Amino acid sequence: MKYFWLLYKNLWRNRRRTLLTLSSIAASLFLITSLLTLLEEMRNPVQTPESALRLITRHKVSLFNSLPIAYREKIAKVDGVEGVMGSMWFGGVYKDPSNFFGQFAADTDKFFLINADMKVPEDQKEAYLKDRTGCLVGNTLVDRFGWKIGDRIHLQGALFQFDPELTVRAIYEGGGDLGGSLFFHWEYFNEGLNNAGFTGTYTVRARSVEEIPQIAERIDAGFQNAPVPTKTETEKAFLLGFISMLGNVQLLITSICSVVIFAIILVAANTMAMSIRERSREIGILKAVGFQNNLVLRLLLAESVLLSLSGALIGSLAARGLYSALNLPVLTSGFLQRLYVSPRILAIGVAIGLGVGLVSAGTPAWRASRRPAVEVLRRVG
Amino acid sequence: MKIPLKYNVGSLWVRRVGTLMTALGIGLTVAIFIVMMALVQGLDSTFVETGRPNHLIVIRNGSLNETNSYFNRDLLQTVRLLPGIRPSSSGEPRAAGEILVVINHPRVTGEASNVIVRGTSPLGLELRPDLRLIEGRWFRRGLREVNVSRSLSRRFQNMGLGDTLHMSRSEWKVVGIFDAGGTAYDSEVLTDAEDVAQDWDRPIYTSLLLEAADAAAAQEITRRIADDRRIHLQAISQREYFRGQMVSSVGIKALGGFIALVMGVGSCFAAMNMMYAAVMSRTKEVGTLRALGFSRWSILTSFMVEAALLAVAGGSLGCLMALPIHGLSTGTANFITFSEILFNFRITPRILGEGMVFAVAVGLVGGLLPASRAARLRVIDALRD
Repeated sequence: MKYFWLLYKNLWRNRRRTLLTLSSIAASLFLITSLLTLLEEMRNPVQTPESALRLITRHKVSLFNSLPIAYREKIAKVDGVEGVMGSMWFGGVYKDPSNFFGQFAADTDKFFLINADMKVPEDQKEAYLKDRTGCLVGNTLVDRFGWKIGDRIHLQGALFQFDPELTVRAIYEGGGDLGGSLFFHWEYFNEGLNNAGFTGTYTVRARSVEEIPQIAERIDAGFQNAPVPTKTETEKAFLLGFISMLGNVQLLITSICSVVIFAIILVAANTMAMSIRERSREIGILKAVGFQNNLVLRLLLAESVLLSLSGALIGSLAARGLYSALNLPVLTSGFLQRLYVSPRILAIGVAIGLGVGLVSAGTPAWRASRRPAVEVLRRVG
Repeated sequence: MKIPLKYNVGSLWVRRVGTLMTALGIGLTVAIFIVMMALVQGLDSTFVETGRPNHLIVIRNGSLNETNSYFNRDLLQTVRLLPGIRPSSSGEPRAAGEILVVINHPRVTGEASNVIVRGTSPLGLELRPDLRLIEGRWFRRGLREVNVSRSLSRRFQNMGLGDTLHMSRSEWKVVGIFDAGGTAYDSEVLTDAEDVAQDWDRPIYTSLLLEAADAAAAQEITRRIADDRRIHLQAISQREYFRGQMVSSVGIKALGGFIALVMGVGSCFAAMNMMYAAVMSRTKEVGTLRALGFSRWSILTSFMVEAALLAVAGGSLGCLMALPIHGLSTGTANFITFSEILFNFRITPRILGEGMVFAVAVGLVGGLLPASRAARLRVIDALRD
């Protein structure tokens, strides 16, 4: 630590070069942090103690096939099931097809038991349950479309020939989708379709997390030989199914990150090589006054690490600050609900900074530290 | 007076390690830019190249695409009899009723995705001239047989020739592999409409595909279908229909733009660093050039040219590094049909050009400040340095 001042002075001697290198590393780490966070958000859907208890039962063939409403009672009787809620993806159009968000026609009786992680004022809950054509909307949708309690919402059916006329009765925050969807009464939907009597999926609340695998098995076993077989999985697995549809995003993002890391090593190595070359005489003097080779090496490496670590921290923290300040759902039309730069990702950023610092200064620092002082000092320059 | 280019090339060569590192840095940025653009291009051109203008897709009014449309089968008769449909060799109107279903099926890598299964007929196959059978034979009615595209058969489990595929209630045999010429139909399993209707218990059509005699007839048919309130259908040109699915690439486009922007900024700083170092180490040379009579403007252009050269070297490296991904097959989610769409990375000359422009822009922005600093040097100070 006693050499910190020396490192600082050395870095600051060519202020412009240091700042440019710092900015370049910061920009790269900003990018890496953003990409890793995006990947993490995709791979790890929001987890709450409530969502860990939820299972989703769908038609075995695909989500495009619906389930009979009679299944609700059968699933409710399965051992370990605390509550069942049918819900149907409505997929309608609000004003324009580009206003995309989740719309579900959901059973109401067990709704707030199953979605206990949604924050809704009690009076609004009641108002929603009482109004057959009422709807419950997420707070990020409220931000996007400027809705308020009592507003009328007209949805145009795309999958179904039914255009619901809804009234906003309640607004929720949180939940598994961080306030990004709209829910309305399944009964109203069913009437609109002349009592067609089907739903899309069943959301099941398990008694305990431990029992989840057995419950899933029991539910599917009950319908194994029925005309409509089912597939039950945890809510997390269900959501990850959508991500896997996007293809190999993980490979794409990790390859981009490695290329970026390689690029910053080049930038930092260039800087350190220039800076060490300019100073070879000075390094000779340090050694002449008694600095050991290893100390010189350590000082040079430390200087490089200090530079890239600072750049990495600036970049990663900038990403963290920026994404927590921006209203992402509004800016990206609901495409991104949030980007939370976790401590784990910050740690990765720091590790990259450390590694880049060591690798980039490695060769020139080693050479400079091994060069006999006499040789350097003899040179006229 | 212009400073010769040779001078710049020589200067870059003198500091070749630094030059190479900076150029490589710019090259990597350009390579990533090209890869992302090739991804977008491949996906978009799949949709652009699917469909012919005089072919019409008829779906239920209000539904946005084939996967969420459905209507009574009788309507095929109503539509078939409209005037202006091109007759087939046997004199029948060329209009085929089709039923689309989606299965959730595991890829070779294990994770599952949605795949479109299209129930069609020999007439439906005939209406898609891009389809080419490359192995086996076409499906026959009543036998639960399917044809799979080559790309699908490579990407999904149990989709090779002779394999058996479990769908809905039956086992379906893969009797042939086809190639749809890089169109969106390369992402589909084709089989008989009747068999699908039975197995899925859906006695409906999801869409009709018909061929109008000419553009005017296509317009007339579209208008008639829209005006007939009883049938509640809409006709869309097959070409427009698939172009509408290009929104699937917006996510990749946005991500690619963001990555290119941030990496471009980072590379600008690196190029600036390099050019400042070049200017600083050549202060005396600049002074000499000025003393010889070269103007400030010549000095500025000379350094800008040098930065551009550095960037061109980087850009070319980037293009070379990106080229091997051309033609690589991949797939992602089609946002409209909510199922897998397969396509190839496609690097076009235009993308390479854009990559070079991007590189040169990075070089010029990075070179501007150092070059203007060099131009502003006073002869006397520079020579004394």
